[in-house]
Amino acid sequence: MSDKITMYIDGRECSGQKGDTILEVAKKNGIDSIPTLCWMKGLTSVGACRMCVVEPHGADGKPSGRMLTACTSPAEQGLHVSTATEKLVDYRRQVLELLFAGRNHFCMFCSQSGDCDLQTLAINHGMDSVRYPYLYSEFENDTTDDRLQIDHNRCVLCQRCVRTCSEKVGACTLGLKKRGWVTTVKADFGKDMGDSDTCVKCGACAQVCPTGTITLRELAYRGRRKNCDAVVDTICPICTAGCSIRVYVRTGSVVRVEGTNVDGPDGGQLCVKARFGLPKSTEQPRVTRPMIRVGSKFKESNWEEALELVGSKLKEGATSGEMGALISSIATDEELAVFASFKEAIGKIKTDSYESRVLRGFYRGIRPFSAQGVRPFTAAHNILSADVIVVMDATPQESMPIAASFIRVAVLHKGAKLIYVGSGKSPFTGITDVEVKDLSDPKVADIMKSAAKPIIILGKPLLRNHTFVTKALNFAVRNRAFFDDGLAIVPMLGHSNALGALNTVLADEPWIDTGEQDFLYVYSSGLVKESSLVLDSMSRAGFTVVQTPFLLPPMTNMADVILPAPAWFERSGHLCTLEGERRQVAKILPPIPGLKGFGEVMQILCDKMGVKMGVPSTSPCENVFTSKISPDQAKPVEV
Amino acid sequence: MAKPKVASVWLEACAGCHMSFLDMDERLVELFKNVELAYSPISDVKIIPEVTVGIIEGGLGNEEELHIAKTLRSKCEILIAWGDCAVNGGINCMRNFMKTEDVLKEAYTDTVTTVNPTGVLPHVDIPALLPNAIPVDRAVKVDVYVPGCPPDADTIAYVFNEILGGRSPKVPASMMRYD
Repeated sequence: MSDKITMYIDGRECSGQKGDTILEVAKKNGIDSIPTLCWMKGLTSVGACRMCVVEPHGADGKPSGRMLTACTSPAEQGLHVSTATEKLVDYRRQVLELLFAGRNHFCMFCSQSGDCDLQTLAINHGMDSVRYPYLYSEFENDTTDDRLQIDHNRCVLCQRCVRTCSEKVGACTLGLKKRGWVTTVKADFGKDMGDSDTCVKCGACAQVCPTGTITLRELAYRGRRKNCDAVVDTICPICTAGCSIRVYVRTGSVVRVEGTNVDGPDGGQLCVKARFGLPKSTEQPRVTRPMIRVGSKFKESNWEEALELVGSKLKEGATSGEMGALISSIATDEELAVFASFKEAIGKIKTDSYESRVLRGFYRGIRPFSAQGVRPFTAAHNILSADVIVVMDATPQESMPIAASFIRVAVLHKGAKLIYVGSGKSPFTGITDVEVKDLSDPKVADIMKSAAKPIIILGKPLLRNHTFVTKALNFAVRNRAFFDDGLAIVPMLGHSNALGALNTVLADEPWIDTGEQDFLYVYSSGLVKESSLVLDSMSRAGFTVVQTPFLLPPMTNMADVILPAPAWFERSGHLCTLEGERRQVAKILPPIPGLKGFGEVMQILCDKMGVKMGVPSTSPCENVFTSKISPDQAKPVEV
Repeated sequence: MAKPKVASVWLEACAGCHMSFLDMDERLVELFKNVELAYSPISDVKIIPEVTVGIIEGGLGNEEELHIAKTLRSKCEILIAWGDCAVNGGINCMRNFMKTEDVLKEAYTDTVTTVNPTGVLPHVDIPALLPNAIPVDRAVKVDVYVPGCPPDADTIAYVFNEILGGRSPKVPASMMRYD
């Protein structure tokens, strides 16, 4: 029997699947005459707002006067509905008037006016006045949280925030308290937001709020979406999950960052780092001109003078001395490739990346498996389809918050089991099934016995040690943990282009920990704090050049020459993501005047050295996306 | 034929709607060829005459305003509510969260910049406050609503044109705004 059904919307024949709601059939057939407010793509429909009502036809073929909420009523074979009869339009307007009268929806002093779904609906329904008496609700604003605030007086109880918090973020922080007119959105069964133990501060609730109820303090009143000068879709440059982001620009600054990938596994959510960290990072002081150290101070210089000095020191180093260069693993593929060819042109210079201990341990640990032709890790979103999740000494809520969301959603909504292996306590309080110190614990084997799709999350402490990495991979192979793209290992690599750095700039042997460099070049993204390892090696170096977009002490204090660099919003390029794709980052703002990119600076330095930059022998994204053999063919290796 | 008469009143509001009316600019010349502004805040007329169109800017917050709204309603055929204050109460509603005594105290004694050592509150010399600031249609029937804070000059012009064309105006979605 076919699952296909045919129904008629405003007389138009529409086809859908059994189990579709009327609204889903309408959307599939390109009908957009059904207004919605509480409905959101990707969330469970609850029919809270009654905006999407449609009128089914009776046996006589005329609108029956009954009303169905399109978002929750299943489509039926042969059903006829009207979406815009006079009765429906009047009913919807009444619903809107009741919403406006119930609480304080006065647009003239609301930060969301112009960006508000409720307002747009009212305007589209010709609501020029409200026929019901206003109730003037007097809820106290919830201003306890440092990032967001809730004005309950503007809430329409659509529960978009409640559902997003549960179904997308998996935090399950938000819920409704009380009933009827006094219902409010509260955290953790009645707490104020600031007192919540479960909130992960991702701000997804504010993004989905259709009114001005939940607003982000830092981003409010900085411009309505439609008044922004530019809206750029790009990739988050922070971690290797590579989430899609939409960046709003107004008067030359980034005023809002939102998730867009509603159809993707992340459902359009963003973590705290992207939503708040990215706009905040644009407010840091910039390095606008090259600067040269004179005694304990810096003097403003120009490119010619600064690069002449750097070039001469580079020459000195090349003839006698140790030279090293560190490049942030947030650099784009293009920057990494330039760096790799610079290294090959100069020859003597050693290179390494930020987070190099983690990357080196990981790289060495996976090498035996890469050699078999299998991709020894998998995309983070595969956590969502796993049935057992083994978290090994990982803190995904810090290193890759989107993966933490995936874990919570998989456990809470898809029934996955969660095993925590590690010396500390599981960061997933309340939802961890088993906490053990070691993989050999019989409790682990007990759960793994029935696992069909296990996945392993490798934390940074383990990644530093290649033996642990290989052991974890062996564990994965023995437990048949694999996905289509590779072995079911999700490494918590913090930086966006960590995978690209593996192939290009990562040193085989550590040198920044111990050696003293006569010449050290540091290329910083300004997005993450430099580790003490990097700072130590800078303090030991004879001559340090720092190329950075932002004037960030203590790193910039240790430089002998500071060169400006393009910030994340001033560059374009690509990033190798864990998700198995080379994703493009777009330029968001024009670079500050007189800025030289990384490639140009490297070219000038090569010219000064009298060497030619060629094509690097390895490309950043080599062998990081796919397996040559089917992942289930992988064999365990000797440790 | 005599030109139809219009009377406009400025009640509890900021005069922004009348400013927006003046923003009709050169269209005003054309408008006044067809209508006579018989009473308004910018003309020195003491008594509201019988008119075809009455316009109210502002909500109703005291007894005088209530009286003017009722008087205008009785003297006009079509009553227009201009702007958010007249349509839904607007910013005046912010006082609805306090008792009227507290509102008066806040205004006449408690404000930091106020010098009122004996704590005198207005009584007989100023119209008494209504318990709540209300939209016009809570007191009298309104025929045409023009929301906006203020409504655009284009919207105001549109409404006049519709009335002069003999139609009952309804602000279209493209012109509707609440802020």
